Amino acid sequence: MKRMYPAVALAAVLVLSACSTKAGDSGSSGADGSGVKAGKGVTASEITLGVMTDKTGVFKNLGLGITQGNELWAKDFNAAGGACGRQVKLETVDHGYKADTAKTLYPQIEPKVLGFVQLLGSPVVAALKQNIASDKTVAAPASWSSELLDNPYVMIVGTTYDLEIIDGLSYFQEQGLVKDGDTIGHVYIDGEYGKNGLRGSQFYAEKHNLTVKEVKITSTDNDLTNIVTGLKGDGVKAIVLTTTPAQTGSALAANKALGLNVPVLGNNPVFDPVLLKSPAANALDKLTIVASSVPFSADLPKAKDVAAKYKAAYKETPNGGIPYGYAVGEVWGAVLKKACENKDLTRDGIAAALKQTTSASTEDLVAALDFSKAGTPATRQVYAATPDASAEGGVRYVKPLFEAPEAKEYVAPHQK
Amino acid sequence: MSDTAVKSPAAAPPTPPAKRDRTRLVKALLWIGLLVVLLAIPLYLDAAWLKAGQYMMIGGVGAIGLTLLVGQAGQLSLAHAFFLLAGATGYTVLSGPTDDERVFGLGLDPALSLAGAVVIAALLGLAFAPVSGRLRGIYLGVASLSLVFLGLYLGQSAETLTGGTSTGRTPEPFSLFGFPFTNEGPEIELMGVPIRQAERLWYLFLLLTVLAFVVARAAVSSRIGRSWRAVRDNEAAASVMGVNVTRAKAGAFAVSSAYAGLAGAMTVLWFDILKPDESEFGTYGINISIAFLAMVIIGGLGSVPGALVGALIVNGLPQVLSLYSADLGWFSGTGDGALTPILVSSFVYGAAIILVVLFEPGGLAAIGRRITPSKKPHLPEEQGK
Repeated sequence: MKRMYPAVALAAVLVLSACSTKAGDSGSSGADGSGVKAGKGVTASEITLGVMTDKTGVFKNLGLGITQGNELWAKDFNAAGGACGRQVKLETVDHGYKADTAKTLYPQIEPKVLGFVQLLGSPVVAALKQNIASDKTVAAPASWSSELLDNPYVMIVGTTYDLEIIDGLSYFQEQGLVKDGDTIGHVYIDGEYGKNGLRGSQFYAEKHNLTVKEVKITSTDNDLTNIVTGLKGDGVKAIVLTTTPAQTGSALAANKALGLNVPVLGNNPVFDPVLLKSPAANALDKLTIVASSVPFSADLPKAKDVAAKYKAAYKETPNGGIPYGYAVGEVWGAVLKKACENKDLTRDGIAAALKQTTSASTEDLVAALDFSKAGTPATRQVYAATPDASAEGGVRYVKPLFEAPEAKEYVAPHQK
Repeated sequence: MSDTAVKSPAAAPPTPPAKRDRTRLVKALLWIGLLVVLLAIPLYLDAAWLKAGQYMMIGGVGAIGLTLLVGQAGQLSLAHAFFLLAGATGYTVLSGPTDDERVFGLGLDPALSLAGAVVIAALLGLAFAPVSGRLRGIYLGVASLSLVFLGLYLGQSAETLTGGTSTGRTPEPFSLFGFPFTNEGPEIELMGVPIRQAERLWYLFLLLTVLAFVVARAAVSSRIGRSWRAVRDNEAAASVMGVNVTRAKAGAFAVSSAYAGLAGAMTVLWFDILKPDESEFGTYGINISIAFLAMVIIGGLGSVPGALVGALIVNGLPQVLSLYSADLGWFSGTGDGALTPILVSSFVYGAAIILVVLFEPGGLAAIGRRITPSKKPHLPEEQGK
């Protein structure tokens, strides 16, 4: 038994020396000289905001674009003086669109940041939902499902998938592409994104006595020919897509090849400018895209300004993530300034300031936003656009910001 | 460190009793030392590292189950992810609130629900016995793969149980006799370190992993383990020796499923959400089944400690690399062709599998056996079945 002693001694040493590095973790929340309360992520000279993005997974192009948009905004915001005399600093991590990696990275980044200017991917947002609520960190998800709005700390910049589809279908009806009593097809990915879009179709169909043929797919199905054949058999007058860009290409190619040739409506994520160089390019003219954040080359003063700054700073091919990333930054900027006025830069202060933000302007990069009502999307307005290879960025507007009367009536799942 | 081998006195070389006693003592001390270190870790490491460690333990529990099935009983299974989902759903439904209009719940005690989830997964494994008892090798592997697709379908359509792919559902936090494993409840401090959710879950997961480990070791060295190995090596011979082949196979599948079920329940506690997959690659998808297979191959088929080491590599590497790279600014490239932690770790574990299969088919367990003083015989033909 003598041999046990070293082990016991070792154990004792280990346990006793444990009272060390981790102890004494307290959030400093005193007020500084000018009376501004500061908490996690805020020092006398800096405000740190978190970016959890995808640099390696399936959304790496979008993630990179949004991150670069965030960076451009931070540069401009700091050049204009920052907030409360503090400069904004971004802390970026890559989760590769994997929820498990994000779940591990979150406790590492959370103590360093005031809030998140980017949280990319619906699986990631879902996995971190509880953490965001219990840590009270305001976060802007790059995911636009109205189901997320039950969390008061989630700040969705733009409208939600369901409202995009409602506005889009209303635009179709206005153009005479569908009429009351018609049958339409809706192809959706079974998940947060697709299902939320389907809610929009279902709501609109009820109002206008449409029959919706629902077709559920997974995000890895890439040939939709059979599905479009089925929809042709059902005699649909229009097709709604909440799918990936690759699936959009397949559906549109089949729509043309089978001679169905009905108009196709898709929301923000269905289109990627690369489709213009794909075999489906000549079938894209039937597609209309509705979205609340503008494409890279939008004909707006602010968008042009962002585009010029982007071209000066980065080399990658631009996408719609850049103006969106910049716009989220602008909204964060508005919230930070509001919190400054309240002299409260703690997380509670940010959450309170978000609620007081009734008119966040991004100079039309995104429709005007109102975060004052919990559970309600911050805007119900969208643009309608159509693919056009000759336009810079591959998209041309067919209707500026609008809000359908049906969208006004729509009650989002967590709306009070 | 590893002595999964059968204690067959006839095969053991004659070792002086004194030396054998000493070896055993050294080993026991090593295990105790490891346990002490594991118990002390939450006092030193930050929540992010604990989170990564917990993920490795989830992998460890699942991998132990699979190594019993593949290495000991000689049955290939690619259905591990399905049983993970079964355990995850089982725990969430059993412990879920009864008054939620959107999802179904039974409102049972979380500890009871955890046990219930394990039983449910085991029963589902047993229900697969007509298939697992008849097929072997690659045929069983392919047949079991169908369960993963069944899981994908059920996860999506049984919305009242799983919460659906759109939002999923929140599992009841674990608690033991009213003690919550969250940030709520009594404030505890140990050596000045507050014991909160991350630390509490660490101890819970450690307890479950140790339990899983001890039970597996006991099974391997008992009659059950012998019957599994007999069936693996030669069904006809096993049958002649009085082993009920069908029952042994079904039993191995059920035990392995139970382990996966426990790992599944741990998964929802770790994620704080049960969310069925949107495609076949996800938390409960094919990729996870393959990851578990990689763990047991790297660890050495059939070896229980090997499975733990395999889980350390496969589940741990991406997590550890991500954390380090965030700290040190490694792999900070972006866009196409950028080297990132996720990419690096998939290369490393791919390379590990190839190297193991080429140069050390016995896996890390075989290396471990060579360098430890143990004079125990190797498992007969433990790999490649």
